[in-house]
Amino acid sequence: MRRILAQTRKELTQIIRDKMALGLALLLPLTQLILMGSAIALTVSDLPIAVQDLDDSPASRTLIDAFRGSNTFRIVPLAADRQPETAFTSNLARAALIIPAHFGRDIARGVGSPVQMLIDASDSNTARLLSGYASEVTTAWNANNGGGAAVAPVSAAIRFWYNPGRSSKKFYGPGIFVLVLSLFPPLLATLASAKEGEQKTILQVYVSSISAHEFLLGKIFTFMIVAFCECLLLLTLLFTYFGLNFAGDPTPFIVATILYAFCVSSFGTLIGSAIPNQAAAMQAVALFGFLIVFMLSGLIFPIQNIPVQIRWLSNFVWGRYYIDVVRDALLEGGGWPAQWWKILIIGFTGSVFYTMAWRNMRRMQLKA
Amino acid sequence: MKQLAQFFLSYRLRALLRKEFAQIRRDRRLAMSLIIPPTLQLLLFSVVLNATVSNLKLGIIDDSRTPESRGLTSTLTESKSFQLAGYYYSVQKLGDAISRGDIDAGVLIPFSYAKDLQRGRPVTVQLLLNAMNANTAAIAQGYAEGVIATYNGDLTNGGLHSRFMQVSVSDVSHRGVARLTGAYLYNPGLVASWFVVAGIFGLLLILNGSIVAATAMVKEREAGTIEQLLMSPAGTYEIIVAKIAPLFFLLFLMVLFATAMIKFVFEVPFHGGIVVLLSGAALCVLSGIGIGTVIATFTHSAFQAQLTSFFVNPLLTTASGAITPAEAIPGWLQPLVKINPIRHFSVIARSNMIKGSGMETLWPNFLVLSIFTLIMVSASVWRFRKQLS
Repeated sequence: MRRILAQTRKELTQIIRDKMALGLALLLPLTQLILMGSAIALTVSDLPIAVQDLDDSPASRTLIDAFRGSNTFRIVPLAADRQPETAFTSNLARAALIIPAHFGRDIARGVGSPVQMLIDASDSNTARLLSGYASEVTTAWNANNGGGAAVAPVSAAIRFWYNPGRSSKKFYGPGIFVLVLSLFPPLLATLASAKEGEQKTILQVYVSSISAHEFLLGKIFTFMIVAFCECLLLLTLLFTYFGLNFAGDPTPFIVATILYAFCVSSFGTLIGSAIPNQAAAMQAVALFGFLIVFMLSGLIFPIQNIPVQIRWLSNFVWGRYYIDVVRDALLEGGGWPAQWWKILIIGFTGSVFYTMAWRNMRRMQLKA
Repeated sequence: MKQLAQFFLSYRLRALLRKEFAQIRRDRRLAMSLIIPPTLQLLLFSVVLNATVSNLKLGIIDDSRTPESRGLTSTLTESKSFQLAGYYYSVQKLGDAISRGDIDAGVLIPFSYAKDLQRGRPVTVQLLLNAMNANTAAIAQGYAEGVIATYNGDLTNGGLHSRFMQVSVSDVSHRGVARLTGAYLYNPGLVASWFVVAGIFGLLLILNGSIVAATAMVKEREAGTIEQLLMSPAGTYEIIVAKIAPLFFLLFLMVLFATAMIKFVFEVPFHGGIVVLLSGAALCVLSGIGIGTVIATFTHSAFQAQLTSFFVNPLLTTASGAITPAEAIPGWLQPLVKINPIRHFSVIARSNMIKGSGMETLWPNFLVLSIFTLIMVSASVWRFRKQLS
């Protein structure tokens, strides 16, 4: 135990002395959480739409006002003699609302009047959202205007659970938190281990009385401490800037975080000791920590949308389970009954990495 | 005199170019790593990053248990938007299932559903959505309202017609309604990958371009041969131009590969002609290389250059709108979006390929890309010179 702690102290001193490492450990995680957490969002508000009012009657103007009044749309004027497509090709508008010449008369006569909405679908998701918003605005206008649609036989009262304001930040914030924890602690661990290999100081370790277990645990503890510091910093940010809080029992989150810190630190140490070259080891961690977690863990886009041929891969991505646990703790509050098996998987993955790192270390020791 | 100067310039430049091309040619690994991984990444990313919302798992509490309520259930679940995941018997159970993630949405049909409908009274069903993911929730809301509107249409056209007409006549005026008909232009099938593939294309050009350029520039310094180059009569501009040329050539090969893949694998229509797209890509590659050369003047080894790009790349990637709409990025980050080459290239690629926009509307993006490249290359030349003195 004493030797493990001594090893940890040595590693921590090394990190504190290295400005680059400190930047990687503390500054970059924070900036990345703020940047990515607020920049990644799929729900656009303030969508520019072009309006062509061929009627120019009081009725048509109130309809346009209904669109203007909503948070989601911004009206861009479009001359009546111009093709709406020109507004799309020059990226001035996302959609065009075309009100026919007889609109006001039709409304007054009590007949349905067709209004066309041309939507630029080059961004399919935004196009879908836009069409939904537009029909909501029209339904509301019809209701206010006293049209027949006010008395629909069946109407849905929709309740948004867990995130009633439908804020993207609250969903992506916890995801980026996991991404950051999957990237930086293992990266530092890798750099530290690869450096030992590169500068051959690892040989000194081999000849000293420290055992492989003690050496590895010392290293892993260091980066677990780094991970906890990052975790605290990031959580403060999540609780303030992102406006999140624990939705229920925080113990699954705490246990999962400890296990996840162990898991990623072991992973980093494993890569670092297997590839004794800092640049190459760093690329390997960036590939697994960033790319794979980013793509295959449901961080931005749902896992169900990944084609079946490669979807099974996401079952092996450790970040995926931790994302679920974090989102559950901060938003849903399902607690232990919903999350226990995911926490077990994280712990299991961690012990696999540790065993691999240990075996690798022992083999190298014998060779040296 | 001017011609003479140009002659010397081109002669020295040619010699340098020959050296750089020879070096690159010998480095097979670099050439391979520049072309194969990015092409694969483009394929993988564009396939995996897909925002489509479909097959939402729907749980149902049917307190009415009548043909009418079953009609509503089947209308809701027959489309691809919702899929029936199970029936529940208490709100508590349904809530637990939503929080466990077993279902994404729940519908509560009240006990008096059928009776109210038959009497011509409007009924409300409750729809619970897991809104953790804002996008999924917003789109699911749109789906649900659309399905219920269709269901209402069928109801009023069918047997319940007369009763509902009575209701509407009794308490509202005779004004008509606006019927919104939507039409999706350019991508009527709403293929999600078209949007992403164009963004990822730009992202890969910039990220690969910058890292490759930085490593290539730093290599000379690591090997210590930079002094020899500086001793030669070649000017700084010539050295840098000669360094950039072979990288540009290789990256442009990658552009061609990627374009072919976008065309044949993702079947994106090329409405705007290939010339505008390729010239945009060329400028994008150059600005990526420009970023790399600037990084190189700040670092002393390939490893340091890599570490530095760790600080630069997240900024470039997040403020680019490559995989999420750029308009959704908050205001304080928008200045960064405005100067981001990834952003401008993805606008060019998307508008040109999908919508057929030409130079006449895309020139501002081309202008920004050119200015960005110029600034980056001049900055690296300036820093390079400063280090000499």
